[in-house]
Amino acid sequence: MNSEKRGLGFYILTAFFALFVLFLYGPLTTIFILSFQGPNGGLTFPMNGSSVHWFKNLLFEQQAVGDFGGAFSRSLILGLMTMMATVVVSLLAGLAFRRRFLGSGPLFYLTIASLIVPSILISLGIGLAFQVFGLSPAWYSSAFGAHLTWTLPFGLLIMFAVFNRFNPAYEEAARDLGATSWQTFAHVVLPIILPSLVGVGLFGFTLSYDEFARTLMTAGTFNTLPLEIYGMTTNVTTPVLYALGTVTTLFSMGIIVVALVAIAVLRKRRARKVAG
Amino acid sequence: MTLSRLAPYLQATPLTLILAAFLVLPIATIVMVSFWDYDSIQIFPAFVFTNYEETITSPVTWNTYINTFKYTVIVWAVTLFVGFWVAYYLAFHIRSTTMQMVLFLVCTIPFLTSNIIRMISWIPFLGRNGLLNQTLMGMGVINQPLEFLLFSDFAVVLAMVHLYTLFMVTPIFNTLMRIDRALVEAARDAGANGWQILTNVIIPLAKPGIAIGSIFVVTLVMGDFITVRFMSGGQSASVGLMMANQIALLQYPAAAANAVILLIIVLLLVGGILRIVNIRKEL
Amino acid sequence: MTKKTTSKGVSRRQLLKGAAAAGGLAAGAGVVTGFPTIWAQNPITLRQFGTGVSNLNAIAEKCKADLGITLQMTALDSDAVSQRVVTQASSFDIADIEYWICKKVFPAGTLQPMDVKKIKYYDDIVPIFTTGKLTPESKIAQGTAPNTVGFVEGPESKVFAKAPTQWMTLIPTIYNADTLGIRPDLVGRPIKNWKDILDPAFKGKTSILNIPSIGIMDAAMICESAGIMKYGDKGNMTKAEIDGTIDFLIKTKKAGQFRAFWKTFDESVNLMASGEVVIQSMWSPAVAAVRSKGIPCVYQPLEEGYRAWGGGLGIAKHLKGAQLDAAYEYINWYMSGWVGAYLNRQGYYSAVLSTAEKNMTPDEWAFWMLGQPAKADILSPEGKVMYTVGAVRDGGSFKERMGAVACWNSVMDEDRYMVRRWNEFIAA
Repeated sequence: MNSEKRGLGFYILTAFFALFVLFLYGPLTTIFILSFQGPNGGLTFPMNGSSVHWFKNLLFEQQAVGDFGGAFSRSLILGLMTMMATVVVSLLAGLAFRRRFLGSGPLFYLTIASLIVPSILISLGIGLAFQVFGLSPAWYSSAFGAHLTWTLPFGLLIMFAVFNRFNPAYEEAARDLGATSWQTFAHVVLPIILPSLVGVGLFGFTLSYDEFARTLMTAGTFNTLPLEIYGMTTNVTTPVLYALGTVTTLFSMGIIVVALVAIAVLRKRRARKVAG
Repeated sequence: MTLSRLAPYLQATPLTLILAAFLVLPIATIVMVSFWDYDSIQIFPAFVFTNYEETITSPVTWNTYINTFKYTVIVWAVTLFVGFWVAYYLAFHIRSTTMQMVLFLVCTIPFLTSNIIRMISWIPFLGRNGLLNQTLMGMGVINQPLEFLLFSDFAVVLAMVHLYTLFMVTPIFNTLMRIDRALVEAARDAGANGWQILTNVIIPLAKPGIAIGSIFVVTLVMGDFITVRFMSGGQSASVGLMMANQIALLQYPAAAANAVILLIIVLLLVGGILRIVNIRKEL
Repeated sequence: MTKKTTSKGVSRRQLLKGAAAAGGLAAGAGVVTGFPTIWAQNPITLRQFGTGVSNLNAIAEKCKADLGITLQMTALDSDAVSQRVVTQASSFDIADIEYWICKKVFPAGTLQPMDVKKIKYYDDIVPIFTTGKLTPESKIAQGTAPNTVGFVEGPESKVFAKAPTQWMTLIPTIYNADTLGIRPDLVGRPIKNWKDILDPAFKGKTSILNIPSIGIMDAAMICESAGIMKYGDKGNMTKAEIDGTIDFLIKTKKAGQFRAFWKTFDESVNLMASGEVVIQSMWSPAVAAVRSKGIPCVYQPLEEGYRAWGGGLGIAKHLKGAQLDAAYEYINWYMSGWVGAYLNRQGYYSAVLSTAEKNMTPDEWAFWMLGQPAKADILSPEGKVMYTVGAVRDGGSFKERMGAVACWNSVMDEDRYMVRRWNEFIAA
């Protein structure tokens, strides 16, 4: 299959892959097209003229209900909090799992359990627990925790994949040269795994940013963006929702591009360091 | 010496604390509340089995579970098929890492749009006057709009496949990438044809990835409620949706009992998958 | 959108608005402290949540301008609303909930009854919410009528009073009479009764509401109209009546009569606008929303009458002192006319009609409330043309519509059983 000439299989699979991508982009295309509805258009076809009216409406005018701006900034901050916590905690845990320690098995299975417990259950559980203990839930406390139960397992699994392939020879070499364990970590281990950490962070951010079910009963007084959009559907029936979809997609793409550039720069720098 | 022996414990502490606070404790609460009693107004501490009794003895529960299993099996099968071939294509037919990464990103971009908005947008895509029907009618393939495209089991499965295939692709791709290409060459030199290589070499080696992907998909589908509600037009039930309805009507103990049952079933399913493959070693 | 509002009929309305608001402010503050309080110097923030139906930013803005009170509005779907009230008592100051939800959540003790002596317009509230009768001779409709859960027995009580007392649970804000919405261009026949939704011609093109407490009432109206069921009290069915209704629904569903069940406002609009459905139970502004997209849609009055609903503002238990004063002041302001006019212009009804009238033009009033043909274009609160000259509101005047209410959205004694059966219907 890795032969020089492309076989029939290659073309069939290319077509298959293309269809798959087309399928993935179906709804996105609808959103994109419909966000350019005319001022009197609705959320469904047919198009009623075309305009950038709904983008203007989204960005410069106040909506009848809801507060996109506030919800968006909450989601953004929550996403960043989750991102940082995920990176730090899963890195630490990943390091811990490189050695044997008492209770490592149960902790591993607990982490896996965290991944497989249905979202709505976590949401209900945290909501109920806060109620039973008389705490008031808020997006930065209960919802933050709820999001971590989703992002941490992903983070840890990625760290496992990284460390399973990590060659300990680098560390041994550093230690032989007299580096302390902190120096070894900071100057040898960290630079090597940094691109993966960026990946973990990215994962954490996107998972948190669009999380709905886990936030549903844990958000407290104020809505995050997915909740806000859901709440707005009780009143808003204009393509401004699609305009919002288009804008947030472009925004997230922006974040990804930034992250990719960061990874590329890190790689290059490392390559230069190694070379120099 | 002591510090280095202590290190893993310190390093594992944050994870343990977070999981204890936001996973163990909430689930303990759910288990506790599932024994509480409630009326149409309030829930109050008690120790009754009525919630379980009502849940287990009701034919609705059974129908709902059967329906949910139906979705799970179909979605699992479809995502496995699609996911495997997509991962296979990316791993074996795309040669440069950069291209692999680019194609991967192409697949992830649709997931950056809010899920709720994407759900709403299926209506103009699949609806009676939707993009798909109009295209098909314009091409002369059909002369009547296809009604089954929206608000049906088909629509639910389609949307779930759309949402969850990538969870299958990623782990399978990961394992496929780690297969030593020399093994494939060796099999070819030994006279194996493409099919034999696939079934005897690649699929067995891809098992851990398939297992992880299956765990993702099975648990996501079992717990889903929003997709089912939107895509079936409220006409189908799933366990998650049943729970969401009970929560909405403030019948927390009933929802909690349901949750405990769901949790047990999901854990059994995942336990079964884990018995087949040791994913921790294979990662 | 907001800008357009101000450009239309500014001078006259502005004047009235200003006058009424000033009056309301002075009066409202007077009740509480004896002299006008200026909240701008003593900033007060109230957190209000409710469904998107009435949780409007325009109200928050106007409130800030008139009273200096900052309202933080959070819009939720109706499920989340009742959960918030019961489980997260400290997360809000003002709850905007429906009366049937009130029946479920008030006994949880997270809201405090309001002293009607501090409610300036109490005597002007439409009597549906106090005595239950629109006019002295009208009959109280079935179901959870607002007057049955509108009062409690004392300031600390959680028990609903049978007759008006000094302690009100919710201050009514908006209400309406719901019926079937139709696409006149697609149904191709006159629609007169609730049972017309069962017409085989509409197979796969109908929809009802999937909120049990509301949907069951739609279903009951349909069953009664089709002669399938007779109810002692639709609003409080016996187990047998619930069984009969649900069994019929299951049969109808299996026969493929329904296209979908909707739960949120936007779903009903999308179903109708996209032509997926041609006849369904609907809310009045949803009909307006379909129509604003240039698609014909009629809110069809039916012989059996309407299914009504109402919402109101409740005050959180934890409010006290200045915040509580501010909440009363906000509520008095809410009823002083500007908001009422705003809501009436959306096709809903407001609780105090006399003040709302002063904030509407005579033509608007005649169109929305008296059921007379429009003499000029009728605009939405955002300034969009909703009806052109000569149009008449579906269903006619306030008296004709609210006078023909057959039942209210309800929470029944057999609620737990009903919900189980409803889930069965959805799962069938």
